[in-house]
Amino acid sequence: MNTPAVSLRTVSVSGRLHDVSLDLGPGRLVGVIGPNGSGKSTLLQALCGLLPAAGEIAWNGRPLADIPVYDRGRQLAWVPQEARFEFGFTVRSVVAQGRYAHGDDGAGVDAALDLMDLRPLAHRPVNRLSGGERHRVLLARALATAAPIQVWDEALAALDVRHALQTLKHADRLKRAGSTVLLSLHDLRLAHCLDEVVVLSDGRLVAHGTPDDVLTESLFRDVFGVTARMAPGLTLELS
Amino acid sequence: MSPRDTVGRLALPVTMAGWLVFMVLSLGVGDLWLNPARIWSGLWHHDELASVILYQIRLPRMLVACLIGGALASGGLVMQAYFRNSLASPGLLGVSSGGAAGAVVAIGMGWAAQSILTVPIMAIVGACVATGAVIILARSGASTERLLLAGVALNALLGAVTSYVLSNFTLTYERNAQIIFWLMGGLEDRTWEHVWIASPILLGAVLLWPLGRPMDLLSLGATEAQSLGVNVRSVRRRMLALATVLSALATAVAGTVGFVGLIVPHLLRLIVGPEHKRLVPLSLFGGATFVLACDLIGRCAGNLRLGIVTSLVGGPFFLWLLRRSSR
Repeated sequence: MNTPAVSLRTVSVSGRLHDVSLDLGPGRLVGVIGPNGSGKSTLLQALCGLLPAAGEIAWNGRPLADIPVYDRGRQLAWVPQEARFEFGFTVRSVVAQGRYAHGDDGAGVDAALDLMDLRPLAHRPVNRLSGGERHRVLLARALATAAPIQVWDEALAALDVRHALQTLKHADRLKRAGSTVLLSLHDLRLAHCLDEVVVLSDGRLVAHGTPDDVLTESLFRDVFGVTARMAPGLTLELS
Repeated sequence: MSPRDTVGRLALPVTMAGWLVFMVLSLGVGDLWLNPARIWSGLWHHDELASVILYQIRLPRMLVACLIGGALASGGLVMQAYFRNSLASPGLLGVSSGGAAGAVVAIGMGWAAQSILTVPIMAIVGACVATGAVIILARSGASTERLLLAGVALNALLGAVTSYVLSNFTLTYERNAQIIFWLMGGLEDRTWEHVWIASPILLGAVLLWPLGRPMDLLSLGATEAQSLGVNVRSVRRRMLALATVLSALATAVAGTVGFVGLIVPHLLRLIVGPEHKRLVPLSLFGGATFVLACDLIGRCAGNLRLGIVTSLVGGPFFLWLLRRSSR
């Protein structure tokens, strides 16, 4: 059996996450879902080593504590939920920050700008962009890292429909290249694009499996308190 | 190449040229005007009068001005990156007041007479205490309001300490004069001793140089920087230590000189953008140039103290900045 790309054993974050154990294989596109305050961002930050957490976390079989911070920057790309910029760095320089742990070699920066349609904005100060554009900058930075573990916290929420679908396409491409892509999301209509779904409620893992197995009527009722009804509706695809 | 890149490349040579011009002016301007030829002769001891004026008065003053200017501006730059707030600076946050309070206590208690190192050491201690308080009161990413309120509270508290010391030693004229010097900030009567005391600023500047790139990433937030591979804890510790020591040393030799750490990095950022790899050297040379210019203005305007000139320039600038940032 393949070594999991990300492995969590009884991981807890005081008051926010309780005893989560999880194995995520390489080349998987994984969605983390749950109601507001269920611990999605906490889980993502903990598995990235960005929050102090109890329990065991390993990347590719190696305990996170044994991986120097600089090396982590080569293995992980994290897109935060909020895109706050106090200083007016240019779009290009923010995307180029993704190469910090590669010795600032600048590789893949132009390609990442193109992938997120940012080339025309490359020299614009990032603090003068709209919320959606800022998120595209952060996603481009994540793509520029070429990291095998990609963690995008509600990255799609601020994007328009075309860029959201485009981003999912990039996530799929990364997955096919062997990366593990984790994204937290609220729009469950996008769940059909995912290989696996991790469901959290009140800081606890309540389900983990394929979307078809996990996203049942009873789960929607128990976790989200809503009634799910499968019906043909609006379907959007990239033209 | 973007226009900002072009400006960025030109900024350092232009700033250094301005710095050289102001250094020459600083050596030349005074009761006895010395032209560049006489300065040259004086420096090589070919002109005895010029030599005495330069080596005993103007050269140490000019060097102290350069050192404290570079220290205050780069200290402000580091604090702005640390707090992710372009209004953070050693003066506004109370770090300079902490340094001044430490120096004033050393003078007031009579410890200054025991060793020339007592005042700088106490200034560093005072600045460290103030920095610790600011970190507790306003963590990284704190809002402008919270930062400024923390600074107001600290400045008031440390002002009370200095006032208490001042009121307790009203009978000792010499100590009082020294204390008032520290409170107003100035470069009068600076000697080679002060140059030596301030000389570790050069080491601080060297240590600051490699932090430029990590500071870029840190100014986006500690968590993001860590995810990109920055050892946040280590870099932040070094940043804070350097900003505190640089500000404290500047305060130890020239007293409280306000607004340099706010104006210089801010103006430079407006001109060349926020990349710290450029801003670190520019702040060092730009700060030196700014303080030399303010000192010259003060000398030409009837010997106004440096702290008064920087406040006269910095006060309106700060209000403009506050108005701009609230939009």
